[in-house]
Amino acid sequence: MFLVGSFFLFAAFLITTCIFVIFSKNPVNSVLFLVLAFLNSTFLFILIGAEFVGIILAIVYIGAVAILFLFVVMMLDIQITTLMFNIKRYIPLALLFAGIILAEIIYLTVFKTSKENLDTFIRSKNNTEQIGDVLYTEYFIDFQLSGIVLLLAMIGAIVLTHVYRPTIKRQNIESQNSTTAQDRVKLVKINSGEGIKDD
Amino acid sequence: MTSLSFELTIGILKIFSFVVPVLVSVALLVYLERKVLGAVQLRKGPNVVGPFGILQSFADVLKLLTKENLLPSSSNKFLFIFAPMLTLILSLIAWAVIPISSTYVIANINIGILYLFAVSSFGVYGVIIAGWASNSKYPFLGALRSAAQMISYEVSIGFVIITVLICVGSLNLIDIVESQKNMWFAIPLLPMFVIFIISALAETNRLPFDLPEDEATLVAGFFTEYSSISFGLFFLAEYANMILMSSLTVILFLGGWYPPIDIFPLNAIPGIFWFVIKVFLILFVFLWVRATFPRYRYDQLMRLGWKIFLPFTLIWVVITSAFLFYFGLLPN
Repeated sequence: MFLVGSFFLFAAFLITTCIFVIFSKNPVNSVLFLVLAFLNSTFLFILIGAEFVGIILAIVYIGAVAILFLFVVMMLDIQITTLMFNIKRYIPLALLFAGIILAEIIYLTVFKTSKENLDTFIRSKNNTEQIGDVLYTEYFIDFQLSGIVLLLAMIGAIVLTHVYRPTIKRQNIESQNSTTAQDRVKLVKINSGEGIKDD
Repeated sequence: MTSLSFELTIGILKIFSFVVPVLVSVALLVYLERKVLGAVQLRKGPNVVGPFGILQSFADVLKLLTKENLLPSSSNKFLFIFAPMLTLILSLIAWAVIPISSTYVIANINIGILYLFAVSSFGVYGVIIAGWASNSKYPFLGALRSAAQMISYEVSIGFVIITVLICVGSLNLIDIVESQKNMWFAIPLLPMFVIFIISALAETNRLPFDLPEDEATLVAGFFTEYSSISFGLFFLAEYANMILMSSLTVILFLGGWYPPIDIFPLNAIPGIFWFVIKVFLILFVFLWVRATFPRYRYDQLMRLGWKIFLPFTLIWVVITSAFLFYFGLLPN
């Protein structure tokens, strides 16, 4: 009873926050509602007993991804009116992606997953160990491939955005440390009444 | 029904048994900090309010409470008030999983260390929301610095935690402490211990990494616009976070509630005593560092985090796991 009640509570919160993500006028508020949505999905994962997946979702998406979103969005100077105008253009694309994801969910839940498998996964004592058992054995190739995809994305982002500007002065710590007193200061002996001779 | 309400009462009492000592020790920690700084700089420190000035922090809190709480007219009012509350809540809910003895803990969950890591990584939201909601330049710069800094150092903290977890084979905090019964992890993992303490300084925005509130360049950083008790909440949260990170260091590296050597007069003393004394020592290191080192420049901070700590911890994870694997020392 308690579990079912909390499920509906968190699911309702999740959907509400998702709606607010889309319809907030201010992009910073959108990102903050997105954080709330992530948090609610964490709660949903914990409710079905997948506490490892839930907390990893929280660490990765709330602790890192959403902060970077917020970081970028806070620095943008966005005209709210143009933003609202642009949303209409993306509706067909959004519907397409929503349709694909819905089809995937239906395919997975109806045809692919056997109820018994899911139940044993949830009822088992420690799902951290279960994930650890299969991640590097059964799903080794998939795991490495996803790593390579992320690496490519990272290198791509750096290549696209990094511009080397030779005018910027940079600190070269090695050359600073290897400098000796002889490189910087020259002691000159001056005889009285002669002044410094230029050599 | 009575058993449910009984358990609820016990639970609430347990929560108070953590929160009240934490808040009192925050006050005493502020006093200790001023005394230590005074001693290092050959001053007396607070010595007027109460015996040895020990009531100074309580007097400061009373002063803060009676001041007017100012709301900047162009700020985002809701988020401006919400940010300090969020910061304090996050620094207190983490105590739910901290075990102070082998039996005394509010929630003994399987993934305790991940929960702590998650909560400490949420801490940046309080700072970044405060900086943005103030709608002012200095707080905004402080918030940006804080976001970049905390994410950078979380990476190396994550790798340090992974190294410890490889040696333990469990994510449960009580298991982590109990596997250190014979040898504290600070000895075999000494470099990781040092890196963890330095990253904890950066994660709690303490000197020499307090760039988010750098008073020399940013007035007061992300809480420039805050006054009265909303400033007090940030202050409270910063020190509560220090105590939390110290406890985490003790749990991960200094053997939690175990005495240094397992012989008679030492192991007869209750574990809570050892836990508290170790936390106190780490906190003293925090204050000592503050009195000793100058503040880092921002590019130096980023260089240390990404170019030194990240490669070093990454290699150390590989070395540790290879060592454990080839000598057959892997847990389970």
